[in-house]
Amino acid sequence: MKPPSDLAAPPDPAIDETVVTENPVAGIDQTAGDFSYNVKYDFDAGTGLNENTIRYISSVKKEAPWLLEFRLKALKTFLDKPLPTHWATKDLENINFDKIRYYLSQGQKPKRTWDEVPDDIKKTFERLGIPEQERKFLAGVEAQFDSEAAYSNVKELVKKQGVIFVNSTEGLREHPEIFRKFFGKIIPTGDNKFSALNSAVFSGGSFIYVPPGVKVAQPLQAYFRINAENFGQFERTLIIADEGAEVVYMEGCTAPKFSTSTLHSAVVELVALKGAKIQYITVQNWAANVFNLVTKRGVAHENAEIKWIDCNIGSRLTMKYPGVVLKGRKARGEVISIALANDGQHQDTGAKMIHAADETTSNVVSKSISVGQGRATYRGMVHIPKHLKGCKNNTECDALLINTNSRTDTYPAITVRGDQNATQHEASVSKVNEEMIFYMQQRGLTEGQAMSLAVNGFINDLARQFPMEYSVELKRLIDLEMEGSVG
Amino acid sequence: MSASSSSSTVAHSATGAFTPDAFAAHLATQPSAPAWWLDRKRAAYESFASLPMPKRTDEAWRFSSIATLTLADVQVGAGVPAGLSIESPFGPVALTFVNNTVVRSGERQRADLPPGVLVTTLSDALANHSELLRKHFMAQPQKLGSEKFAALHTAFIADGAFIHIPRGVEVAAPIVVVHAAAGANTAVFPHTLVIADDNSKATVIDYFVSLDSLSPLASGPSPAPQALALALGANDLYAAHGAHLTYVAAQAWSRDTLSFQLNSTVVRRDARVQSLNLHLGARQARHESLSQLQAPGAFSEMLALTVADGTQEFDQRTLQIHQAPNTKSDLLYKNALRDKARTIFSGLIVVDPDAQKTDAYQSNRNLMLSDDAEANSLPGLEIQANDVRCTHGATSSRIDPEQEFYLRSRGISKAAADELLTFGFFEEVLQRLESEPLHDALRSLIQTQFQK
Amino acid sequence: MSQLEIKDLHVAIGDKPIVKGLSLTIRRGEVHAIMGPNGTGKSTLAKAIAGHPDYTITSGDVLIDGKSLLELEPDERARAGVFLAFQYPSEIPGVTIANFLRAAQQARLAEGEELDATAYYKRLYSKMDLLKIDRKFTSRAVNDGFSGGEKKRCEILQMAMLEPAFALMDETDSGLDIDALRIVAEGVNAIRAGAHPPGVLLITHYQRLLNYIVPDFVHVMHEGRIVKSGDKNLALELEAKGYDWLKKATAA
Repeated sequence: MKPPSDLAAPPDPAIDETVVTENPVAGIDQTAGDFSYNVKYDFDAGTGLNENTIRYISSVKKEAPWLLEFRLKALKTFLDKPLPTHWATKDLENINFDKIRYYLSQGQKPKRTWDEVPDDIKKTFERLGIPEQERKFLAGVEAQFDSEAAYSNVKELVKKQGVIFVNSTEGLREHPEIFRKFFGKIIPTGDNKFSALNSAVFSGGSFIYVPPGVKVAQPLQAYFRINAENFGQFERTLIIADEGAEVVYMEGCTAPKFSTSTLHSAVVELVALKGAKIQYITVQNWAANVFNLVTKRGVAHENAEIKWIDCNIGSRLTMKYPGVVLKGRKARGEVISIALANDGQHQDTGAKMIHAADETTSNVVSKSISVGQGRATYRGMVHIPKHLKGCKNNTECDALLINTNSRTDTYPAITVRGDQNATQHEASVSKVNEEMIFYMQQRGLTEGQAMSLAVNGFINDLARQFPMEYSVELKRLIDLEMEGSVG
Repeated sequence: MSASSSSSTVAHSATGAFTPDAFAAHLATQPSAPAWWLDRKRAAYESFASLPMPKRTDEAWRFSSIATLTLADVQVGAGVPAGLSIESPFGPVALTFVNNTVVRSGERQRADLPPGVLVTTLSDALANHSELLRKHFMAQPQKLGSEKFAALHTAFIADGAFIHIPRGVEVAAPIVVVHAAAGANTAVFPHTLVIADDNSKATVIDYFVSLDSLSPLASGPSPAPQALALALGANDLYAAHGAHLTYVAAQAWSRDTLSFQLNSTVVRRDARVQSLNLHLGARQARHESLSQLQAPGAFSEMLALTVADGTQEFDQRTLQIHQAPNTKSDLLYKNALRDKARTIFSGLIVVDPDAQKTDAYQSNRNLMLSDDAEANSLPGLEIQANDVRCTHGATSSRIDPEQEFYLRSRGISKAAADELLTFGFFEEVLQRLESEPLHDALRSLIQTQFQK
Repeated sequence: MSQLEIKDLHVAIGDKPIVKGLSLTIRRGEVHAIMGPNGTGKSTLAKAIAGHPDYTITSGDVLIDGKSLLELEPDERARAGVFLAFQYPSEIPGVTIANFLRAAQQARLAEGEELDATAYYKRLYSKMDLLKIDRKFTSRAVNDGFSGGEKKRCEILQMAMLEPAFALMDETDSGLDIDALRIVAEGVNAIRAGAHPPGVLLITHYQRLLNYIVPDFVHVMHEGRIVKSGDKNLALELEAKGYDWLKKATAA
C-alpha cells in the first residue's frame, strides 16, 4: 500500500487555491448546479488523502487515540478496496480522489455575501419558498444557521426526556459508553469503498440516543443544530432507539445545495432495540456535479421497526441503497423511495432487506422518474436465509419515463431459502398517459403543467409519507424539474 | 491418490481436459470439412483457451456455484456403444445423436416431411448447404456470461441437427431430435440449428438424455466429484419474416452431468418463436437464452419449467433484446424446488433507444417445496425508450396452505397434494403450447421426477 | 349404524378460545342443523373437526365409531369419512376437477392398487347427471374463477363422488341466490336419498336453507356452546324471534 500523496507534514493551509475553481471532474457540464465560489480556505486539510490528512482531522477534533486508529485502519481499507465497477457504473472511475478536500475545519468556513449568490439560485430559493435565514445558509453566505430561536423549545423538550442529540465528534467524545458500542458495527468500515472513506475522514452528522420507552413527539431535524459541517461531505450519523423508544429524524432539504465539493459520502447507522421505531427521512437535491455515494443501514431487533423514506433529486450520480437487517423476531423494515433523474444525472438507488429472524417482514416501494436523458436505476437485495419461518418481503418498483431517450433500469436480487417464507417483486415501466395529458390540456393546462401534475400524481401516494412541509416543497421542486421537459 | 490431486488443479485451469492435443485430435476427425469451418474452430479454440473461467465477482455468474464448473476429467470423442435403445416420449424421431455421432437418421419420419424441408446433420450441411450454415451457425453474440463455453462448443462440435423449413411450408408433426450421451465421463456438444424461412411453420423438439446411468432421472446419492459428464449444447433458431417456430427442449441428463445450454433466437418481422425448456436432469445446469427481436411485429415467447431436487443447481440466464419498434416478448419461467436444490433466475429485458411500442414481460415463479431449497431471482430491466409497456415480477412462495388443506380434506395425502399442486403450478406454462400431445409428453417426463 | 361423536370439545385459534365445550352425536342418515349468530364458533367447529392447522383442539374429543380423529392428519380424517363442504372453497389453478377427484379416489385405494379409469369416469358422469352438472365442468380447474354457485356445486359434486360417512356443510347457503340455493339443496337431498346417506352437520346462519334441506335436529350455538336443541320448529322460532331472544334467555 502506498499513500496517494507524498506530503510529509500537515498540509499547508494556503495550498493551491486554483484547485477550487477548476473543474475537479473532467468532462462534466458544471453550468447547471455548480455553485462554487472562488474562495480562500484559511484552514483545511488541503487536497488529497493520506495518513497526514487523517491525523490532521483527528487532532483538530481532539479525538481519542482509538478513534485515530479507527480512521487510519479505515484509510488502509479504502485504499485497498477496488471501485465496485463490476456491477456499478463506470462513471465512478471519474472521481479524482487526489483533488478532493476531505476536511474543512469548523468556524473557518468561507465567507461570501448574498450579492455573490447567482441569480438563478436566488430565484430557485424564492420559488421553493425557502425561508430567508435558510437561504443564506444554503447559499453559503452564513456558516451558522440560527436555529436556536426556532427550535429551542423542541430541544429543551427532548433534553428533558433524556434524549442525547449531538454531533459525531461530541457523541464519541462525551458519550462513548453509549455510542462506541454501535459505532461502525452496523456498517463496518470495509462494507464498501465509500463506507471506508467515510470512516477515515468523517465529520459532522448527528448522534442520537433515545432512552427506553421515550417517544419523541416531533421529528428531530438536522436543522436543529445546523452548521456548515453538518452539511458536510462526509457526515456520520448514528441513531440508537432504546427499547420501546420512537423517533423520527429528517435530513436535507429540497433546495439545491451549495457545494464546494463534488463528492458526498455519508454513513448512517440506525439501531432500533426491542420494540423501538425509527423513521429516517431524507430529501436531497444535489448540484449536478456531485457524486453522492451514501451507505445507510439499520438493525431492527425484536418487534422493532425501521423505515427509510428517501427522496433523491439532483447530483451527477447518486448511489444509495438503504438497508435494514431484521435481526429480531417480528422486526419490520421498510424503504420508501422517490428518485428523479434529469439530464446528465444517474439515480442509482434501491434497498437491501436482510432477514435474520422468524416472522420478519419487509416492504420496498420505489418510484423513479427519468427526464430527458436522465437515468434512474433500482437495485435491490432481499435475503431470506436458511430455516427461517414466516418471513415476507414485498417489493414494488415503478418507473416513469418522460422523454423518448429517458432511461431506467431495474436490478433486484432476491434469495429465498426454505418453504416457510414468501417474497414478491413487481416492477413496471411506463410513460405518462397521453390521453391524460390531452384531457388536462383540454381543460386549459399547458402541456408542461399537465406533465407536472401527472408526475406529481405518479408519486402522490409516496409523497404523502413525507412530512407536510417536505411534500409541499417536493411538489414545487418537481414542477421546477419538469420545466423544459416537454415541447 | 496423486492422480486425482493433480487433476483437481487441472480442474480449475482454463482448458481442463480440452488441451491443445485434444483439440488437434478432434480436428483430425474432420478431414473433409471446409476451410471456413476449420478456421472458425481454430479461432474458437484460441478464444476458449484464452478466456478465464467464470469468477465469483462476475455479475453474469452471481449466485452460481463456480467451484464445480470443472472441465477436467471428461473424455472427448467417446465411441458409440452398440445396441442402444432410446425411447422418445415425443413420438417418432427424425435424428438421433449419441456421443456427437448420428446413429439413426429416422428416414421414415423424414420421408413424411413436405417437399423441400431439410432435416439433416451438420456434417451433411457442411458438404451441401455450407453458406446457409456459415451464415447462421453460432452467429449471434454471447451476452450472458458463457463466451468461454460457447467457444468450447464451436471448437469441439462434431455433428448436430440442421433443419431448414423453406418459405411458406408448414410442417404439422413435430420434428424430434434426440441428443444422447453414453458412457462415463463423456463430453457431448449437442447442437440444433433451425432456419424457418418466410411464412413457414414448424415445431422442433430437442430431447437431451443420458443412456448410461441406471435411470437418468434417479437422484440417488450425490455422484463422486470425479464421475463427471459434460454436456455443452447450443442452438440457433432463426425465424424469418412471418415464420412461426415452436421449439421445445427437454433436458434429462444424468445426475453426474455438468450441463450448459446456450440458446439463441432471432426473430424477424412479424415472426413468432415460442420456446419451452424443460429442465429435469444434470448435477448443475446452466441455461442461457437470448432472444433478439429484430424487426417490427416480432414476438418471442420464452417458457421454462424446472423440477429441481436432490442437490441440483439450475442456473438460468435470459435476455430479451428489443432492437426494433413494435416488438413483443413474454417470458415465464417456473421452478419447483425440492430437497436441497438451488435455482437461479437472472433475466434481463433490454429495450434499445428506438424500440418504441415495445411490449415486454418477464416473470419468474418459484415454488418452494422444502425447507432446504434455495431460489434466487434477479429479474432485470434496462429501458431506453419511453413509449413501452415493460413489467416483470418474481415470486417465491410455498404451496398455499389453504389449497393444501382443501386437497387433504378430500383425503389426498400431503405428498400427493404437493405433486398435484406442483402440476397445477406448471399447467399455466404447458397450456401456452398449442399441441395437446406435447402437453402429455412433457407431463409424463415431469412425472418421472416424482416417481422415486 | 356409524356415528360421529363430538365430546366436550374446546377449540382455540391461537390463544383465543372459540368453541368452549360442545358435545353432539350425529348418526349416519341424520341431518343436524347448527344455527347461531356470526362469530359464535360454528365454522370453527367444522374446520377443527376436519383438522385445519390454524385451529387447536385444547380439550375434548371427536370420534367416529369410538375412534378418535384427533391424532389424524387432515387427509386421514377425510379417508376416515369426514367431508367438509367449505364456506369459501380454495381455488386451485391448473388442477382440473377430473384430475383432482381422481387423485382423491386414488388416495382411498390400497397401496399399489390402480384406479379403474373407465369405471371412475362412468361414476363421475352419473353423479354429474344426478346433480345436473354439465360435462364440460370437469375439465375446468378446481374452483378457479368459479361463481359462488359453481363453487358450491363443485363441493356437492365432490361429496357425491367421495360418499363420506359424515358431511360438515359450512354455510353452504352463503352467497347463493335463491335459484342456486335450490339447485345445491336438491343435490344434497339427492345424496341423502342415495344408497349411502351421510350424517350431515348443516351450519347456517339463516333458516332459509332449512326449507330446502329439512333437518332432523336443530341446535343453536352461542359463544362456543350449544345453548338449545330441538326439532325443525326451533329454527322457525328463531326466525320469528331473532337471536336476541335466545341471548337473553341464556344470559338469564
